[in-house]
Amino acid sequence: MRNLPVDEAVTLADLSRDPYPIYKRMRAETPVVRMAQTKRILVTKADLTKWIKENPEIFSSDDPTTPMKPAFQAHTLMRKDGDEHRAERMAMQPAFSPKVIRTDWGDLYRKIAEDYVGRLPRGETVDLFTDLCGPVAARILAHMLGLEEATDAEMQDWSQRLIDGAGNFGYDPALFEASDAANAQMNALFDRLIPRHQSEPNNSAFSVMLNAKNPIPLSQMYANIKIAIGGGINEPRDALATIVYGLLTNPDQFEEVKRRDLWMDAFEEGVRWVAPIQVSGRRTTQEVQIGDYLIGPEERVMTIQASANRDEAIFGDDGEEFNVFRDKHPHQSFGSGPHHCAGAHVARRTLGEIMLPLLFDRFPNMTLERPQDVVWSGFGFRGPLNLPVTLN
Amino acid sequence: MTSITFVQPDGSSKTVNAADGDNIMQTAVANNIAGILGECGGAMMCATCHCYVEDTRTGSASDGEEVMLECAEDEIRPTSRLSCQIKVTSELDGLVVHLPQPID
Repeated sequence: MRNLPVDEAVTLADLSRDPYPIYKRMRAETPVVRMAQTKRILVTKADLTKWIKENPEIFSSDDPTTPMKPAFQAHTLMRKDGDEHRAERMAMQPAFSPKVIRTDWGDLYRKIAEDYVGRLPRGETVDLFTDLCGPVAARILAHMLGLEEATDAEMQDWSQRLIDGAGNFGYDPALFEASDAANAQMNALFDRLIPRHQSEPNNSAFSVMLNAKNPIPLSQMYANIKIAIGGGINEPRDALATIVYGLLTNPDQFEEVKRRDLWMDAFEEGVRWVAPIQVSGRRTTQEVQIGDYLIGPEERVMTIQASANRDEAIFGDDGEEFNVFRDKHPHQSFGSGPHHCAGAHVARRTLGEIMLPLLFDRFPNMTLERPQDVVWSGFGFRGPLNLPVTLN
Repeated sequence: MTSITFVQPDGSSKTVNAADGDNIMQTAVANNIAGILGECGGAMMCATCHCYVEDTRTGSASDGEEVMLECAEDEIRPTSRLSCQIKVTSELDGLVVHLPQPID
């Protein structure tokens, strides 16, 4: 067994700016490596990241040392394993089932998408990220969770504060003050909505949880909704912006996708190319061999699905490229194992089947004149921060 | 080795050898059977390995499996199973697994 290599050079700032060349080098030279700055072990090969996520007894999600608990003011299902995790997750899952997407959310999302796309000014240059991707994601999520009363701005603000708090590994008190303020506003809204969901139940997550035969504790319902707010806006937002960027910077593919209506393929390739959630954390419960290295118990392991999605062993030599027409292989953007993304069906249906065709039906000649102006950022969550497109 | 036959909605079929100890989802994924994704890797969390099995040798769905089946994309029938929950044993030799018609 070899000694685990340590990467003294790479920093979180490097990985936030442009992680992909670093991950490519890690896959080739140090696929399992301790990152000195964070002390965590980064795993960048697809077979290993998948295996880690599918073995929760060895690689637990329950990690008391993450800032998630103070950010969410709760021990959430994201940080639980086994039956406890399953019970809390299944309490909410019916609201995101394909059946309910068909009966409730599909048509509603179409209306919302038509409305928001319809407001965009033809012929002008707009920031699609702020004018469409974020607000649409916020509005449909508000409905799916049963929080119609919350504005787009509130939903996006809460989401960002929860994310900033959950990623606050430096334990900066200001970030927790911001997430505390968001928690207070969300709690007040949830308290107010309970009577309505009890007297007029619907298929929203809050309603389904409140009216279940064997409901989970109210505190965990609140935690579940906050997890959905924290995770349910930035991901479809970033996925949409990434896919639009990929298509507009590859005009040949864009034309072919339009001609053959290959929006679902464009969706899958976009989320493969730049996974909105790039990284997941696990804690080793025992000594375990990862690749060529023996890792002790109580180590923090980061699976880098962003890297797994470009692994040469699966995607060949062009994994770094956006290519809608590549040979199909499973990507890991929705994760694997017990914490597989609960919103995967929703994301595919809403973005792949509704938003992309609708957006490009209205603006088939949309252009991105200055792709170099698009700023990409993020280590844990990644996507463009702006998307200045001209609508035609 | 145990022989398993996968039948597509159009009637076409493929018979493969399955390794004992694997589950039917893993067998399908390893043999590129269309219609079985197994995105969650067999954790009973995604319902992308839904299939129909009319064979008492496989037993019946557990409570957790029943709940997750509600989240399958395609038509649920009394014979619906999550293929990740069926373990391959030599006793299942000759098992026929039907794949659902994808819903557009």
